[in-house]
Amino acid sequence: MITQMQVKGLMFDPYNNAYIVILRDENQAEMLPIWVGKSEAGSISLALENVAPPRPMTHDFMKSYLDAFNAKVISVVITDLNENTYFAKVHLTYEDSEYAVDSRPSDAIALALRSQAPIFASESVIRKQSSEELEQWLENLKPEDFGKLDS
Amino acid sequence: MGEQTSHSAEPLIELIVNRVVEDSNTDTRIIVLTRNNGEAETFMVWVGSAEGESIRRALDTAVTPRPMSHDLIKSFGEHFGIKTERIVLTDVKSSTYYATVYLENKGVARTIDARPSDAIALALRCHAPIYVTQDVWRRRSGQNLDAWLTKLETKNIGTQEV
Repeated sequence: MITQMQVKGLMFDPYNNAYIVILRDENQAEMLPIWVGKSEAGSISLALENVAPPRPMTHDFMKSYLDAFNAKVISVVITDLNENTYFAKVHLTYEDSEYAVDSRPSDAIALALRSQAPIFASESVIRKQSSEELEQWLENLKPEDFGKLDS
Repeated sequence: MGEQTSHSAEPLIELIVNRVVEDSNTDTRIIVLTRNNGEAETFMVWVGSAEGESIRRALDTAVTPRPMSHDLIKSFGEHFGIKTERIVLTDVKSSTYYATVYLENKGVARTIDARPSDAIALALRCHAPIYVTQDVWRRRSGQNLDAWLTKLETKNIGTQEV
């Protein structure tokens, strides 16, 4: 079972000096936070805001690379969570074949947003992610921790 | 695009990545390239820290537990049979370098526009040659920067990131 997720936003995590991509399902019942690096967060942010940078960023380059040979991203799936590391698969079609390529969720999400491809999470990942822990963590955040992406 | 390697008739100059230098003042990395003819002249390109680290990892042939962005691009190529033939630093405008990546698959050639950082990060992973046009080589910055670079590297000793 997989659930379709939407990117709800990006937050700065001051405790880990990292960024969190917040994924939610359509019913807003499940939330999946994914910790990503600064440059990946920047790339996801540009895609979310539909900003075209003057020069192609790494994921724009990735998209051009696929476009050059008509390879299409069909979907991305967050497949597993292991010791705080998330795993993802990028599903593509190229010529008449389908491919599933191993990737980090950050790259998969950045590419999916640029390809208008849906993002899914496997049930086991959502189950493993303790929402209680997350809510507690979110409660501890101060308002000034939000909206710091441009720093 | 056919077999044409450059817009001008002048032959391209092949470069090799010599090293990646950290500029901690600006959180950027300097990619130092040299000609493969043994001459000491250098060609420097300023890149972001993430791209610079990606190039450094490729130089060190370091393997990360999870594929980084440029490893993923290489992985797409391996799945589809796309070959990265070469990259060319084609232009410089307002201190910004432009690169073209030459790809090939089953006789179909394609070129894509890229920043030098992405182009170099991919070229190193695919063992593709890196070229610069004569024009861009002549207009390179860094001819008077060697002393400054040496100073920066000396300063960096002992202050490498943990």
